[in-house]
Order: sequence, then structure tokens, then C-alpha cells
Amino acid sequence: MAGAVSALFLLDIKGRVLVWRDYRGDVSALQAERFFTKLLDKEGDAEVHSPVVYDDAGVTYMFIQHNNVFILTAARQNCNAASILLFLHRVVDVFKHYFEELEEESLRDNFVVVYELLDEMMDFGYPQYTEAKILSEFIKTDAYRMEVSQRPPMAVTNAVSWRSEGIRYKKNEVFLDVVESVNILVNSNGQIVRSDVVGALKMRTYLSGMPECKLGLNDRVLLEAQGRATKGKAIDLDDIKFHQCVRLARFENDRTISFIPPDGSFDLMTYRLSTQVKPLIWVEAQIEKHSRSRIELMVKARSQFKERSTATNVEIEVPVPSDATNPNIRTSMGSAAYAPERDAMVWKVKSFPGGKEYMCRAEFSLPSITAEEGAPEKKAPIRVKFEIPYFTVSGIQVRYLKIIEKSGYQALPWVRYITMAGEYELRLI
Amino acid sequence: MAPTVPSAAKSASPSQPSGKSEVADLKQQLRQLAGSRASDADDQRRDVFKRVISCMTAGIDVSAAFGEMVLCSATSDVVTKKMCYLYVGAHARAHPDLALLTINFLQRDCRDQDPTIRGLALRSLCSLRVPNLVEYLVTPLTTGLKDPSAYVRMIAAVGAAKLYHISATACIDADLPASLKALMLSDPDAQVVANCLHSLQEIWTLEAANSEAAAREIETLYSKPVVFYLLNKIKEFSEWAQCLVLELASKFLPSDNNEIFDIMNLLEDRLQHANGAVVLSTIKVFLHLTMSMTDVHQQVYERIKAPLLTLVGAGSPEQSYAVLCHLHLLVMRAPMLFSSDYKSFYCQFSDPSYVKKLKLEMLTAIANESNTYEIVTELCEYAGNVDVPIARESIRAVGKIALQQYDVNAIVDRLLQFLEMDKDYVTAETLVLVKDLLRKYPQWSHDCIAVVGNISSKNIQEPKGKAALIWMLGEYSQDMHDAPYVLESLVENWDEEHSPEVRLHLLTAVMKCFFKRPPETQKALGATLAAGLSDTHQDVHDRALFYYRLLQYDPAVAERVVNPPKQAVSVFADTQSSEMKDRIFDEFNSLSVVYQKPSYMFTDKEHRGPFEYSEDLTNLAVGTEAQENVISAQRYQENDNDLLLSTSDKEDDGTRASNGSATSTYNAPSDLIGSSLISSQTPAETSLINTGGPTYSSQSNFSLDDLLGLGVTETPAPPPPPALTLNSKPVLDPGTFQRKWGQLALALTQECSLSPQGAASLMNPQSLIRHMQSNYIQCIASGGQPPNYKFFFYAQKDGATAFFLVECIVNTASAKAQLKIKADDGAAAEAFSTLFQSALSKFGLS
Repeated sequence: MAGAVSALFLLDIKGRVLVWRDYRGDVSALQAERFFTKLLDKEGDAEVHSPVVYDDAGVTYMFIQHNNVFILTAARQNCNAASILLFLHRVVDVFKHYFEELEEESLRDNFVVVYELLDEMMDFGYPQYTEAKILSEFIKTDAYRMEVSQRPPMAVTNAVSWRSEGIRYKKNEVFLDVVESVNILVNSNGQIVRSDVVGALKMRTYLSGMPECKLGLNDRVLLEAQGRATKGKAIDLDDIKFHQCVRLARFENDRTISFIPPDGSFDLMTYRLSTQVKPLIWVEAQIEKHSRSRIELMVKARSQFKERSTATNVEIEVPVPSDATNPNIRTSMGSAAYAPERDAMVWKVKSFPGGKEYMCRAEFSLPSITAEEGAPEKKAPIRVKFEIPYFTVSGIQVRYLKIIEKSGYQALPWVRYITMAGEYELRLI
Repeated sequence: MAPTVPSAAKSASPSQPSGKSEVADLKQQLRQLAGSRASDADDQRRDVFKRVISCMTAGIDVSAAFGEMVLCSATSDVVTKKMCYLYVGAHARAHPDLALLTINFLQRDCRDQDPTIRGLALRSLCSLRVPNLVEYLVTPLTTGLKDPSAYVRMIAAVGAAKLYHISATACIDADLPASLKALMLSDPDAQVVANCLHSLQEIWTLEAANSEAAAREIETLYSKPVVFYLLNKIKEFSEWAQCLVLELASKFLPSDNNEIFDIMNLLEDRLQHANGAVVLSTIKVFLHLTMSMTDVHQQVYERIKAPLLTLVGAGSPEQSYAVLCHLHLLVMRAPMLFSSDYKSFYCQFSDPSYVKKLKLEMLTAIANESNTYEIVTELCEYAGNVDVPIARESIRAVGKIALQQYDVNAIVDRLLQFLEMDKDYVTAETLVLVKDLLRKYPQWSHDCIAVVGNISSKNIQEPKGKAALIWMLGEYSQDMHDAPYVLESLVENWDEEHSPEVRLHLLTAVMKCFFKRPPETQKALGATLAAGLSDTHQDVHDRALFYYRLLQYDPAVAERVVNPPKQAVSVFADTQSSEMKDRIFDEFNSLSVVYQKPSYMFTDKEHRGPFEYSEDLTNLAVGTEAQENVISAQRYQENDNDLLLSTSDKEDDGTRASNGSATSTYNAPSDLIGSSLISSQTPAETSLINTGGPTYSSQSNFSLDDLLGLGVTETPAPPPPPALTLNSKPVLDPGTFQRKWGQLALALTQECSLSPQGAASLMNPQSLIRHMQSNYIQCIASGGQPPNYKFFFYAQKDGATAFFLVECIVNTASAKAQLKIKADDGAAAEAFSTLFQSALSKFGLS
């Protein structure tokens, strides 16, 4: 069997069942609860545990955590693990769409809707519709405002499952954000061991009817296909992935990205760039420990991009020993503070123009007596967060975004570019 | 569909109020509302229903209000109806008598003019799971499948499978599968089609066990018309349904290469789908389709690399986890594939431990000459930088890489640097690794010993590390000048040593040291034996006694036993047979890959999918005992850092040896004998002593089974007479078959063809089994789905004890069969093969 799950549970942080839906009647809530609470007890931290666990009684539990809620499936069949885990994330998205935030309280307050949603998202253990937009036409949050006559939305029954007919907006607008996150890993010798860029074209559409959209990018492959020169601005993207609305066959043929967009926000396209990039913000840190009584930090941060760009909201997290006290911090720019809950000093710079270098010095006291058998400390890397607006590492550019609807309205496309830090780690200490 | 089983939830939270008065209150209100025609009655009803449901969710038993709830069910308000259905669904199973009350209104709702209500009512009706209500289900389902609204059809399609689970006969008698099939091939709505496919797969798979017709029907699901029909529509399906269709396509057996390329061209763009599950399913199709075309198969690996790497890096950690499990499987099949992408598997600080662990496994698996240096450098960073369990894992990973590689120069240096880090757990892990390395590469002993000699045994707390150090002290006592004294001080603290493992090692080490440097060790030896003899642990006591008597008998013999000449270990145990790995690969994109075991090992029989082999076969592939061993061996590998199999002093050796894979060429058995003589925990160990042979080749394993009384006879048969006749009634039990299959070398591999009639009539395994039986060839297990079947046959030579074992894979589409023949008497294999093929070719002709 393609792997139907037996039941879906929503559990609180201690592993107690809040709501559950039994799809096949072959698992027991009590057993699941007992097993899962034991699991949580054993490890204290579910992070340690893999998201797929087997209980020796033939039941596989797959779970994810979101805020203070665990979403867990129990299955007796040999399921498609990747698909179920992804489905759970989709369930979270749907709940978030409904209740703003998915947490224990919102579930308790809305259990009727929760039941309704669980019923429509899965039937007899098989995933059904998981698009929040579609479901929300079908299941209204506020039961009292619901119209008496209800019919299943068109989208459930037509070929464009991600968009319903009859959507109306006064002002037709499209927002397209090109977001690139830079992942970088620098080892303790200051070498870049790994770097890549993950990009996404995030769209928010407020369009009436069934609009046809066409997007043009400066993809090298695209330009080559059209026989134009490829030097300079063109780029080559690894492994492009599209939202299901994009006509992939069309992209394969002539590299046009054409689609009927879902209503609201979605990721139109994601891509990866594995070419080595220069770290946009380079951080160096020197740490001196003075005879167990105090520790001195000197952190240097340098921006390595063109001067016309500016990084904003730069946040540099430098780990310090967990028993450090009495911080004394000076910075040449921005502000820095000790964040004991993270065992780190966090240095924030609101605006960091290209080609600049700033400094931060800090001194902490250390207790003169330390526990003899202290747990070996977990050495954290320096982590950096930043955003650089109007800039992309890959150089990707939107050449055009055309919107055609049969009613012939004019829609406004807005395009923004931003680069931000993803997993940006420097193991320099 | 019960949202909460009241009793379960209640007992889980005993502090909940029983809510008796509240239920009574609700009942009262419901009764008043039942007949009310007030304008706001609907709103009030909705309110009360909501309170009932909230009590139910909180675990209060509200079943007492059943009658009242049903009375109030006559409403046009959808939300109220939904709550009512929910309530009924939760309580019907526990109160089948009351459930009858609901049938009436559910049936009426199934005919409602609103498709939403029709759908919801039908879903609730099918989810009651009350056997005696089945008769009321068939009609609404049949009409539901023909409903003008796709929403209702979609629910009815799944409903058919629900009905099958309540009453298989009712479902079959109403001919629902046939309607489902017709609907699947004609319905314009993709979700209806997908749900039909779900249901058909379930129904026919379960039905196939007792009906040949159903087995044939399954075959048609994988036939070209159906698969191509669905694949052509693939873009219309939801992401989850796409996974389903792709799974189906991966079972399709194309008749020629053009079909393969057609499918691959059609699905190429699925690799770019945003949903990782779709991408993985597509990969499965590609890999399985191209199995027979080596070149294309390689190209497929190249093609799928980029999407897989993206999936690892992007998305949730859970997705990375699932994808990494699959990558690990792929790397085992194509190690070169990711060797240049090793950086993608470097751990991020924020990765959860379960992802880090898999990444370490990947790094170990893809390490080769070109990337070892960088990988080991990275792993060394983890040893000091991240949390302790991962630090341990990464040290082990370094060790594993060292044991895989030929050039271990640099790695040994790194390991020795670990020892200087002066962290307890790092030192302990490293010592174990250095010990293993020394056993494989004795040439490094001088460098290592110099460093190890500086480590004070007092600083090591962990038994494994301590045992490793003691082993080295004993083994290399001639090179470490203070070895006897270190050992002596350890013996003095005998009573404080809690781990029996360490004490056992200490005994042996002192013995070894004694034969190398008698005058310095004599005193320690006496103390050790005395301490050992009075030890409370049985194994320690027995081993001490054994050494004592051995010395008493003849010190020269004792020396030969304790200090024999040693050969470097060269072979490592592979915990999984290649057959097992193939089986897991067959189940790509499922839990099997995550668990690293085939699905029959973790699912109950009735929950097994259509793609697994039959129960017999699963028993056969891994006999219960062996199964245990494989699992434990896997676990073992995870938990333990001892990488070498026949570690002489390990207590687990008994189980390992009986696993039949302990065929390493470690030529220092005396220690093993020593320990097993004394400890003799398992029959297998005792038998090891009886064999007494110094090498554990597969031959000795064989006799090992014999000695265990397992009835294997291995007397070589005399040269075969020209004409081979078979015993008409050979007897071989599955366990023995399994063992023999594992032990015997492959005598012959052949491909032969079936008659077209034979291929056509092979609808289920039974027909061929009967045919072969009439030729004195017995089947021990069979399985598979059309058009691929797999059989295991055996036969016995008339008047002799020698058996012939055959694995026969039949593809009915191509009318070809692949034979693998193993024989006790290899010389007769050829003659048997001829006999077998002639029998097979006659199949279907009679």
C-alpha cells in the first residue's frame, strides 16, 4: 500500500494529546501518548531524536514540532517518509493560516475548525487538499458568519487546484521579492569550507480573475536559447524548482516561466548557486583569557561588498563562556550587549555600508572557581545575520513580469531584491 | 474517524472532572431544542453542540447524550451537521446499537441537494466502522460514485476502501472495485482518480491473498495503458497524488527502451518540483526504470544529484533527515557519486543532532583518496567544537575512514592529536580506534605506542577506552617499558574496577605481559589470578580459572594460546547482506530506507504493501534468528565503536559468529577459544571450541551449524551419475534453506526463457509451483507481483543428501527467467540446471 497513516495527533509540549483524528482505527491514542511522553522524558529534548521513531509494536511515529505543539502521525504501514513529514509541515501552514499562529492555545480555542480541517486534509490516511487558500473557502474560521448555503469551492473540482475562480480585487497588484540567503561556513583556520546561495522568488498576488503571468529572467540558459550575448550580467542557476503552478514543460522548451498564480503569497521559484562566494561580511575575533579571572574579546567586522550597497540590521553573535559576568563593552559603531540566555555577546549595527571596518571590544569577568567536573562546553561558532537590500549575489534580474487577464485590467508589478545571511557561521574561536 | 476515544483520553488525564452534571445539563438543553422552531434555534443548537464537542475533546464521556444529539440532527446548518457527524463518528463504534439511530439521518443527508452535505454525510457513514450497518452503506456508496459533484465522488472513492475494511464481501459483492476502476480511467477530476487508485491498490492487494482474479487486477494496474494514462495526466494531480502515481510508475515494467525514455522525458520536469516528496518519487521511477541499462542508470545518478543536494540543504530539518537517509542508500550503491560534493554534508551548528549524525555517516561513506584529507580535517573540528555525542560520532567517523583507506598516515597523526586534547570522552573514543587501527596496520605500532604510553590509565574513566588501553598494554608490553608496572597498579585497584569487560581485558593483558617479560610480571600475575578467581562475575572467574589451569598444565601451551603469532585483520564485517540492500532499494522512498531494513521487519503482515514478497519468502530471506542478529548487529555498530568483528575479547562474539558472517581471517583464535571456553554463554561458542580449527572460514561455519544439531549435512556427494534423478519427496525446512543459501557459493547463473503460453498462464505463483512440484522440484517460498515473480526452489538428488537450491526470477512480460543455482554438490549443478530448465520450459504446455 502506498502507505496510509493511521491517525494524526496534535500534542502539547509534554506529549499529551490535545486533539486527534483517527483515520483507520488501528492505533490507540493512549499508546501513542504513552510512547511519546516516554520519548520526551528520555531525551528531555526532542531535538535529539530523529523525526521518525519506531515503537516495537509495529507502529511508526513521525513528528515535527511547532512552537509548543507536536504534530505526530502514527502509521502501521510502510509509508513514504519524506512525503508524510512534508505533509505535516503543510498541516502547520494551514493551521497558521487559520489561527495566525499554531500553538496550544489556538488549538484549544478552535477545536471544531481543527477537526474540520483534519477531515479535509486527510481521508483514510491519504493526504487530500492542503492548500490553505482552497480550504478556507470551504471551512470558515468564524462559524457564526458562515453563509447558510455552501457549495464545495470550484477549486476542489477544477483543474487549477491552487486557484479558485471569481476572485476580485479593486486594485490589481503583484509583489515579487527576490530573496537570496547566503550560507557560509568558515573553519577555525579562517578557510571557507563551504559556501552557497539559496534563492527564492517570493510572490504576493492580489489579482482578479484567472490571470496569466509571464516572467522573464536573465538566466544564462534563457539568453543562450534566444541567441543573445551571454557575457556580463547573465547567470547560471543550479537546480531550479518551481511552484506547482508553473508550466514546467513550457520552461523546458523555451525557458519561459508562465503560470496562473495562486491568490496571496507563495514561492514561485527557488534555486541554488553553489559557486564560491566571498563572505559579504567577514568577522575576526581574538579572545584572551586572563588567568581564569577575566576574558577579553576583540571583534573586527569588515563588509566586503561594493560601497554603493549597504547592509542593514547586522547582528553578530560572538560566543562567550556561560559563566561570564560584568560585561564591559565598547564599539566603534552600533551597540553590543551581553545576551546570557544565548551565552553570547550580540553586536548590532543598524547600517553597515560596503567597504567599511568596525570594531568591538569587550571584557567579561569569570568566576575564579569552576566546577571540577563541569560538562564539556559546546563550542559555538560566531554567527552573523544581515540584510542587503537592492542587491543579489547571483546577479539575477527580473527582465519583465507580464500579467494578462481576459478582462484586460492593468496590474502593477513591484519587484524588490534583497540578500540576507542564511546559515552564516564562522568557527573562529 | 473517532476524534477522541473518551476512555483513552480520560484515563490519560485523570484530573479531568467527570462532567456528569454538565452532560446532564447538555442533555436537558438538547431535548428542549429538538422540537423548537424558534428563529434562533439554529444558533442555540450550534452553541450546545459546540459545548458537547468541547467536552468530548477534553475527555469527558458524553455518550449519554447520543439519543438527544441524533434528535437534534435535523438541521440545515452545515457547521452543526459537521459537529453532529463528528460526535456520531466518535461514539458509534463503542455503541453499535445506538449507531443504528443515526443511519436514518445520515442516509437522508446522502441525498441532500447540497453536495457538501452529501459528501460529509457519506464520509461519516463510511467511517462508523460498525459491521452490522454494512447493508446501509452499499447503496449510498454506489450512488456516491456516480454523483455529479466531484467532491462526493472523491469521498465515495475512499469510502469503498473503508467498506472493504469493514466487510470485504459486501464490497466485492457490490462490484465496487469495478466501478472504481471505471471511474479511475474516466473521471475528469484528478483527486477522484487518485482516491480511486488508493482504494483499488488497497482492496486488490488484500484480496489477492485469496483470489487469483484480484492478483490479475493488480497486474492491470501496472500495465501500460493505466500507467501511461495516469502519467499523461500527472500535472493535474495534487502533490500527494503525484507521489502516488509516481510510485505506481516505478513498478511499471517497460517492454522496450523507447518506453523508458518516453516516461523519463515526460517526468523530467518533476525533478524541479518544489515538493521534495515528488522529487524523491520521481527519482525512484528513474532509478528503477533504468536498472537494466547501466549507462543510463549512471546518467540518472548524475542527473538527480543537484536536486537531492538542494533538498538536503533547504527546507526543514525533517526533510533533510528523510533525504539524507536516501542519499546514504544511494551512496552505498554508487560511492563515487557524491565524492566531490562532500562539502554539502558538513554539519551546521544549528543542525539537529539527528541530521548531524546522518551527515557524519555520509562523510564516512564518501571518503576516498581525493577528499579524505579535507573530510578528516572537518571531522577533527567537530571533535572539539560541538556537543559530546556528535564529537564522539565524529571521532568514530575518523576511525572508520582510517580503516577504509590505504593511506592512513595523516589520519593516524590526527588521532594521536586527539589524545593530546585531554578530554575524557575524546581520549576514550580515540583509544578504542587506535586499538582497532593497530590490529589492521601493525606497522604503525611504534608511533602509536609512543603516544599511548604517555597516557595515564587513571585519567580514563570509560570502560571501553580503558579496555582498549589495557589491550594495548598487553599486546605491546615489550615496547612499553613500564607496561608491567602499569598493569600491576591496575591490578591493585581490582576491586574498584566495576566493569567486568575491563577486568577480563586485564586478565588477558597480564597473561600476555607475563610471557613477554616474565620476571617483571610474575608478581602481578599471581595477584591477578588470585583476584580473578575470587571475582564475583562468572566470566571473569572462569577465565581466571582457565588461565590458572592452563599454566598448571603446561606454560608452553599457555603461551601458544595467549600469545600466538598474529596476522593483521583485513576484512571487516558488512552488517547487511547485499540481498537486504537490494530489498531496501526496491522500497526506495519509504520507511524502509529510514530504518535501513526491509518493510517486513517492521510492519505486521496485514499492513504490508502490495510490493513486498510473501511471508514465506521473508522468513526465508532472513530466518528469525538471523534477523535478530542483523538488527542487533546494526544497533551494535551504532552503539559501539569496535569496528572489527572477531574482536577476541568481546563477549558478543557468540552471537556474531552464529550470524554466519564472522568469516574474517583473523588468525589469532586462541584468545577467542580461551574466552569462550570459560564464558561459554551460547551454544555457538561452545561449538567453536569443538571445531578447534584455527581459521573460521565458511567451511567451519558450516560444520558449526552441523554441530549445533541443525541438521545440515555436508558430506560431499560422489561424482554425479550421468543422468540425474531427483528425490520425489525431499524435505528441507526454511531455516536450513536460508542457511544453506547464505553459505553455498553460486554454482551457476543462467537465463532461460519460458514458453509464451507458460508466461501467459503465470498469473500467480501457485500455478508454477504446482508444475515444478510434478517435476520433483519443491518451492520453499515465492512472491512478487506481475509481471515479476520470484521463487526459491529446492530439490534433492535421489538417494543422496545433496540439495540443489534455486533462485528463479520470472518476468512474464518478457517470458524470461533468471536462475541462480547453488548446490551442495557443485559438480552436479550443470546437470540439475538442464533438468530445471527443461521442466520450466514445459510450463504451460501441458
